[in-house]
Amino acid sequence: MKIVIVGCGRVGAMVATALSRAGHRVTVIDSQRKAFDRLGTDFDGEMILGNGIDEDVLRRAGIETADGFASLTNGDNRNIMAAQIAREIFKVPRVITRIYDPIREDVFRELGLNTVSPTLSGARQIHAMLKG
Amino acid sequence: MYVIVVGGGKVGYYLSKHLLDRGYEVTLIEKDPRRAEVLNSVLGEIVMVGDGDEMAFLATTGMERADVVVAVTGDDEDNLVTCQLAKRKFNVAKTVARVNNPANVRIFKTLGVDVTLSATEVLLDLIESELAGKEPAGRSASQA
Repeated sequence: MKIVIVGCGRVGAMVATALSRAGHRVTVIDSQRKAFDRLGTDFDGEMILGNGIDEDVLRRAGIETADGFASLTNGDNRNIMAAQIAREIFKVPRVITRIYDPIREDVFRELGLNTVSPTLSGARQIHAMLKG
Repeated sequence: MYVIVVGGGKVGYYLSKHLLDRGYEVTLIEKDPRRAEVLNSVLGEIVMVGDGDEMAFLATTGMERADVVVAVTGDDEDNLVTCQLAKRKFNVAKTVARVNNPANVRIFKTLGVDVTLSATEVLLDLIESELAGKEPAGRSASQA
């Protein structure tokens, strides 16, 4: 599969490295070159320096032929916008976006985005562990 | 008529000022408390400090009774999400967004924003219509 990932933070880099290791064609976009240092030494994909909500940058990353897309920057709105561009403009079949704010996550999940909220899942896990 | 302006930069400030002059009810939303204090002292207590895309905060602005929401921050992603929340969560009839990247005009339309305005695009159009019929110097030079 061809997969485009926006945001090469800890999570983005881990996902990108794992997918690349599994033999997928991965392109990672980040606006800071230093972020690519987080990728594993065996990362075999492409790195694109640029803004993940810029159509031209997404095109350069090969979004037109992508099978999967994930927006994993640390900005909720940037992730939401990138995911909607991938879904509505480029019709990528599988689009995932991370949203920290649980209320906003709710709204955009209702609107049809596939969302992951680390805040909610983290809080639930911690709560469960504290209860024992 | 109740207008909510999100983003208290220069555009948001002048827009709010002129809307007030014309008799509209206006709330201006600004993230930065220090900037908000300045705006409040010149515009007269119409500024609320908060995140224009934070649901819990937006609910306190009376957005559900706003006729128009105008998002004019310098970040396209924030303007988009503000307009989408206004529309979907608060049933605001008309949303207006400023976009910085002209390519986003089309994207914002597709994603449900009613009116989008790109200063870059307006300027481009003006320059082109001003120069209509004349050879654009840059282009002919690059063709040579």
